[in-house]
Amino acid sequence: MAGLRTRKLNIVDRALGKGRQEVVSQSAFAHLFSEFVQYSQARSITASELERRLEDAGVGIGVRILELASLRDGKTRRETRMLGILQYVHTTIWKALFGKSADALEKVVENEDEFMISEQEPLVNQYISVPAHLPNLNCAAFAAGIIRGALESAGFPAAVQAHTVAADAGGSRTVFLIKFAPEVLARERSLASA
Amino acid sequence: MATGSYTFVIVAQGDTPVYGAEFLAAAKKDGQDTSHLNQLIIHAALDMVDDAVWTSNNMYLKTVDKFNELLISAYVTPGHARMMVLHDVRNEDGIRSFLHDVHELYVKVLLNPFHSAGAPIRSDTFDARVRALAKKYLT
Amino acid sequence: MAAQRPPYQRLGDVAFSKVEKVNAELFTLTYGAVVVQLLKDSEDVEQTSIQLEKMGYNIGVRIIDEFLAKANAGTCTDFKETGEVIAKVAFRMFLGVTVDCRHVVEPNAPADAMPAFHLIIVDNPLVDFVELPEHCSTLAYCNLLCGVVRGALEMVGMRVETKLLKDTLWGDEHTEISVSLKELVHEQYRDDDE
Repeated sequence: MAGLRTRKLNIVDRALGKGRQEVVSQSAFAHLFSEFVQYSQARSITASELERRLEDAGVGIGVRILELASLRDGKTRRETRMLGILQYVHTTIWKALFGKSADALEKVVENEDEFMISEQEPLVNQYISVPAHLPNLNCAAFAAGIIRGALESAGFPAAVQAHTVAADAGGSRTVFLIKFAPEVLARERSLASA
Repeated sequence: MATGSYTFVIVAQGDTPVYGAEFLAAAKKDGQDTSHLNQLIIHAALDMVDDAVWTSNNMYLKTVDKFNELLISAYVTPGHARMMVLHDVRNEDGIRSFLHDVHELYVKVLLNPFHSAGAPIRSDTFDARVRALAKKYLT
Repeated sequence: MAAQRPPYQRLGDVAFSKVEKVNAELFTLTYGAVVVQLLKDSEDVEQTSIQLEKMGYNIGVRIIDEFLAKANAGTCTDFKETGEVIAKVAFRMFLGVTVDCRHVVEPNAPADAMPAFHLIIVDNPLVDFVELPEHCSTLAYCNLLCGVVRGALEMVGMRVETKLLKDTLWGDEHTEISVSLKELVHEQYRDDDE
């Protein structure tokens, strides 16, 4: 190993725009993620513990993606309303991560504080073989963590849970249930009435 | 553009500053006492910022508070990193440009997986770039 | 007369053009999250480097099948050619980067010394915006790549030793991985029901 010298190009000097067009194979990502799941699973006793580990890993990524995507888009505005931040997650953040907008964004009619973002087949779920003794495993917990990280850092704390549901046309889709914290609703109400 | 003195602070999560720098006009270099007071003034202005971020969706909030002849301007990123400038001269455009460019530097630091969002920014290069921007836009 | 060699650069480009792609930043950020998690769990820089290599090995033994199926690289006649194929085809196909392969001849090596090559990665997506903190300045952040090469080659009958020699995170100009052949292993014939 060479002795520590000053880096040729410090991270703060690196051009941000460089990343926009760059891609790697989906396979590389899927294998990396799959291996991370195996690693995490070995350290988890229950399925929910594994999901929590995966979700926590996603949170830091959500925080970073939110800031990076906004800067890239040259935005000068922040989202201040629930619907605004949800749409931002559903389109821009999803695009930055998965190359496309999420399939759908819906409001849960019964509960004022709940919304759903659904995705036909999140790529994190490919290449994962569900271990036999953990039947209800859902690796979209990682994506749920990304959403939670983005929402929380934007000032909209929320619980995000991933569920797999049967799709109407057969097969399945993943639904991310987003439940905003009470303070978000309180603020939303006072902004709406202002 | 009048030469002013500026105190700059970045507050990430909570109320703890993660970075601070002073760009003082030569005549104003009083030493430590002023510095301490400036920190307190900025800290007190955080409440004003925390209200302003919900009534305005601009990142640059311009002047959010005043203390005697001192002005406090703020810029809040989408991830709610608050960049505060305490200044004694009006310089809206210069401050806006300064904060906009620092915003980009901040995001680059944040992208490092080893950097926790609430951790102090200790990079010498970051500090050097911020000072260079201050020279360019503020003084 | 030297045997006609397939243009490996073109093979790599063709293979890369055919695979599904994801945003490189998702990959980079995920890798960063994985490394940080490993470090948090072990609290040991050396152990983390080893763990990364192991994870890479696990990926390598699985990813080789995909490579053989999709890359059309044919059979390598010698270790030199193996290095070229890994550099120009495999790395290109999976990480989208062009890698150089430098063959190494030790000045005082005996005539029957086992061959080696160095892989040189100039634009490594793993290290984008990464800066090692003081307390982990010796971390072999890119060790996953070493493991991938080791695992993949083992599956095709070559037992190698890989080592991260240089990294931009250590102040060097590029990432450099040495690959030394230790032993040729007779191929195991797979059972039909595997």
